[in-house]
Amino acid sequence: MADHEKLVFMVTHGPDHPEHATIPFVMACAALASDVEVVMGFQADGVCIVRTGEAEQVEAKAFPPLAKLINDFRELGGTMLVCGPCLKGREIAESDLVEGAEVVAAGRFIAEITSATNALVY
Amino acid sequence: MDTTTTQPLESLTAAKVIDARGAACPGPLLEAKKGMGTVAIGEVIEIWSTDPVTKTDIGAWSGKVGHEFLGSLQDAGYDRVFVRRMK
Repeated sequence: MADHEKLVFMVTHGPDHPEHATIPFVMACAALASDVEVVMGFQADGVCIVRTGEAEQVEAKAFPPLAKLINDFRELGGTMLVCGPCLKGREIAESDLVEGAEVVAAGRFIAEITSATNALVY
Repeated sequence: MDTTTTQPLESLTAAKVIDARGAACPGPLLEAKKGMGTVAIGEVIEIWSTDPVTKTDIGAWSGKVGHEFLGSLQDAGYDRVFVRRMK
């Protein structure tokens, strides 16, 4: 086992696709519980997941509610990065995002991905 | 009985029992992670789960993070999964 492992999960689906919105958080929480550093990146419609109040409306069959998973993810120490241009294109303000979400641009995503053990795209 | 140890699981007394029955993945795993932090090294936690994949999931997690997966027992409609804290 490597001394330090890190995974990046890129989420590109929004609330209209409950499984694609939920499963990356399931995986991310499991990774954090396994002592793996996790960064989640939200792009395209994925940014809508971290808009305040949105996750409460999302529940994929046979999975925990998305809002619970986001809370678990935060408690476990995960990082949430949100694409700034994607927010702007959807007229979502930074102040509309859930606690802990950080607005970034491409350079930060690339830095996180290239320093990761692996990156997964949902 | 599905067990990876020669010690009978029935004779084990867990330092902490975690009732994760009804929780969907990754709930039992996250509860195991939290519970492990509440017991001393060498002590055992016991996770109850109605999700049939929990026992293999906890087994994989134990190997990944360095705890000892002791095995599982079937009870009435749920599994009892045993893990010893090793670090």
